[in-house]
Amino acid sequence: MLYYSSMSSILLPSSKRVAIAPTVRFQKRCYARKETGMDPKKETIRRALYPGNIRNKPTPTGTWRPNVGKALQHAIPSVQAHETIERAWLLHKRHLRKRREEETERKYECMRKAMDELASIDSHLYMEANKPENPRARSPEEAELLKTLKASEARASDARIRGLFPRELRVPTDTPSRSGWKYDWKPFHRPI
Amino acid sequence: MSSRKFLLLCRRNTSIFSTGRRTLATVTAASPSSLSTPVHYPTPPQKPKAKPKLLTSIILNRAPIITPTPTPFERAFYTYQARLRRVLFNPFPYDFYFKQGSILEHRFNLEERKRERLAFGPQFGVADELDKEKAAANKAAVEQLAEQEGESEEMMPRTHPADEARDYKSLDRKGKRNLYLLLQENEGTWRFPQGDVKKGELLHQAAQRDLLTECGEYMDSWIVSRNPIGHYRPPRRAPSLGKPKPDEVAFFYKAHILAGQARPNPETVKDFAWLTKQEIEGRVPDHYWDGVKDMLSEH
Repeated sequence: MLYYSSMSSILLPSSKRVAIAPTVRFQKRCYARKETGMDPKKETIRRALYPGNIRNKPTPTGTWRPNVGKALQHAIPSVQAHETIERAWLLHKRHLRKRREEETERKYECMRKAMDELASIDSHLYMEANKPENPRARSPEEAELLKTLKASEARASDARIRGLFPRELRVPTDTPSRSGWKYDWKPFHRPI
Repeated sequence: MSSRKFLLLCRRNTSIFSTGRRTLATVTAASPSSLSTPVHYPTPPQKPKAKPKLLTSIILNRAPIITPTPTPFERAFYTYQARLRRVLFNPFPYDFYFKQGSILEHRFNLEERKRERLAFGPQFGVADELDKEKAAANKAAVEQLAEQEGESEEMMPRTHPADEARDYKSLDRKGKRNLYLLLQENEGTWRFPQGDVKKGELLHQAAQRDLLTECGEYMDSWIVSRNPIGHYRPPRRAPSLGKPKPDEVAFFYKAHILAGQARPNPETVKDFAWLTKQEIEGRVPDHYWDGVKDMLSEH
């Protein structure tokens, strides 16, 4: 909460208030006030939680590192060099994006031609292929199988939801797992 | 973008008229002759061209396990950006995170000064003018701590022994790339797993069944969608032995392998391999390759 303490009285008429320049003092918040004789641990916590809010520097939080000018000169070769690097990076990203888009375009064309071919061959199969997958539906074979299975196996069979990605499909990591690929997987029959 | 959106666009091509359904709005071309002569139904067209035999094929993909290696330009750019962040960010509140005078603080200060020198040059990261003995004592304490803590966990290497050994059956090989399952028939040609479509069966169900029969049940596979991702028509062979064989069309379905290994059926299949796109190009017949190459991922 910021307190504005104005030197002029509130009761003055509006015209007169404009004439007097109100001095507004920003008071620091009371919980952020530095107290003398306080536990130094609490002081550090307080300083970390409530950084100064006096905005007299260009940065949003008002704190640069101490030797920011010198460090910046060592970091950036020159303004032109920085801009060149920026352009080179954007160009690189553009190349990657174009390559990815071209590949997607080729794959889409394959799909489209395949669907057109299927439509010309067999309309029933075409219609069935176009039907959206209902993630909550259970085919009659699955329902029958559920009755025969144990609770854990039933849960495993329900876990693979049609139309959604399986959770075993892992995201690539920087280094492979210690155990490597799981070669011995016990077959779990799922109705087609 | 989902495959459904693609196909809704495709459906524009098929019109109501082609399926023969008539609504109130359909208009037939009125010809003068039809009014005078008695209405006669059109003769059924000649025997339609034979439907090709349907086959389903699976492109079983092992997705990349490892992230791609950054190029030298990318690495240089990331270092440059890290340096800029180091310049512009707020100073680190080290007095909040480390107790004053503790060994961890000394360790942090040593490491931070090293990082500063690395980023900006030898003029930065210089220690404050301290008592030399104190500084030496701190350094010794830090080294003792490092010894006590021991070595940090070793990361697994990004290349697997299967890479050097060129074991094409291994699923750990080429962690950064997409691998596809290729089977070698008894005659010697390499192709993707394939099979026919039974009556009354849908294509994606046939694909699943064919995968299980040709490659065994010891793989946890997941077929991505009901829609085929491509098709292939083998070249017409000249009818040499009497009745010509009907045309065949193979529809390809994409699937992922999540665990397990292929155990191909020895009756139809001699050998199998997990290959990248470039390696497949070398093994597969040319016409087949032209039909199939656009479905596979470059990377």
